[in-house]
Amino acid sequence: MSAPEGILCAKSHEYILEDNSLFTVGLTDYAVEQLGDIVFVELPEVGSSFVKGEVFATVESVKAASEVYAPIGGKVVEINEKLVESPETLNNEPYGDGWLVKMESETAALDSGDLLEYEDYKEEVL
Amino acid sequence: MCKKTLLYSEQEKLGAKMVAFAGWEMPVSYTNIIDEHNCVRNNVGVFDVSHMGEVFISGTDALAFLQKLVPQDISRLTALKAVYCQLTNSTGGLVDDLIIYKLEDSKYFLIVNASRLEDDLKWLYSNKLSFDVEIDNQSDNYSMLAVQGPKSVDLMEKLGLERGVQPEFFTIKKVTLAGMNLFVARTGYTGEDGFEIVIKNEDVVDVWKLLLEKGKEYGIKPIGLGARDTLRLEAALHLYGNDLNETTTPIEAGLGWSVAKNKLEDYNGKSVIMKQIKNGVEKKLVGFKMLSKIPARHDYEIYYNNEKVGWVTSGAPSPTLGENIGLAYVKTSCNINIGTIVQVMIRNKFYDAEIVKRPFVKKKNKV
Repeated sequence: MSAPEGILCAKSHEYILEDNSLFTVGLTDYAVEQLGDIVFVELPEVGSSFVKGEVFATVESVKAASEVYAPIGGKVVEINEKLVESPETLNNEPYGDGWLVKMESETAALDSGDLLEYEDYKEEVL
Repeated sequence: MCKKTLLYSEQEKLGAKMVAFAGWEMPVSYTNIIDEHNCVRNNVGVFDVSHMGEVFISGTDALAFLQKLVPQDISRLTALKAVYCQLTNSTGGLVDDLIIYKLEDSKYFLIVNASRLEDDLKWLYSNKLSFDVEIDNQSDNYSMLAVQGPKSVDLMEKLGLERGVQPEFFTIKKVTLAGMNLFVARTGYTGEDGFEIVIKNEDVVDVWKLLLEKGKEYGIKPIGLGARDTLRLEAALHLYGNDLNETTTPIEAGLGWSVAKNKLEDYNGKSVIMKQIKNGVEKKLVGFKMLSKIPARHDYEIYYNNEKVGWVTSGAPSPTLGENIGLAYVKTSCNINIGTIVQVMIRNKFYDAEIVKRPFVKKKNKV
């Protein structure tokens, strides 16, 4: 699976992709591969805010519930409703239709300091 | 440092994802849990369960010794028959659950949980006292494979063990297959028909390869611990450490069927267990299904009428039912029965669950 250009990844396996100051947040292909069959995704409410490192979502696989940490701080402006009905989309298209939330962030510049480019992330986790 | 079974490199070749379990590095899945689960329900799967403990008990007092250890009546066991039972402690709690196979008079074979092997051995030795028995832990010399699923009978036949000579349900046989001496038992942990094969270490790789090769026409897959857990949960088979421990008795755990009511001999915890049979218990194991899409997990709390009444011991999505199922202990004083709606606390919110009958999924072909 190829990751889109420009994504930044946290060691805890979340990615961000910026488009016009809006940040799409999701899980990396490595993360969804490790989780296996995803059966339920619990997303935050639109309008809720998180600081970097805070749990903002939970992903349930057959085996276990896994917490998802905010890779940057900010406010959730959109959530991926599709995942409620079709959680497997996260397995199939982590960088496409399987995104989790879109966030606005005032602290992105500071918070993304320790995020890795995809190639470096891959090296780190494999 | 985790131990590895002799199939580790074979499993790596098959792309297994490994996890640490009971001190062993074991495959959690090879492809994905749901496919592996369905393969066992519909066809046949092979599990490496070499981590499990194999202990032989022999000697003049073998029967008397085992009678002291378990609530089942082992005197009723005839040669080559097997029985599911538990090692009880003095308060009726469980040291482990296990299967005892009678090989011959004065010789028994115990298959115990990997996570409990060391505690079991300590317990066996501390109960040995003046009994004339030999406790022979052969876990390092034997490997074990489970062949489970409706097509396991066909596969074993293909391997040269014809239907007519296959062991019957809950019996064991010593057989020679492809020149190898094996114990083949008609037991398992999936709720399907199947076999557990106990193999000398030096032969296990050959048997594994043979099963995968000959099983191709039946759609065989290697199955990891992930599907083993969802399969056993659908069949409402207990997992030691989750659903059973030293503070749960067989009666509380819904295992009263495995307690002999008229056994004459005393056994560890007998007075507590007999009292519970007579007077009832304070907590009991129940099955439930979630009424929402969120799976309940081990240790989540159960509420009823805003009161905390219990906790989840096992919970997972059921691939067969497409629902989230689980086992939980609840206080018996609350009158929680089949059909009662309780609440499971998940991440500080309440979600409804309905108490349902166990097992959640019934075997299609009765053996």
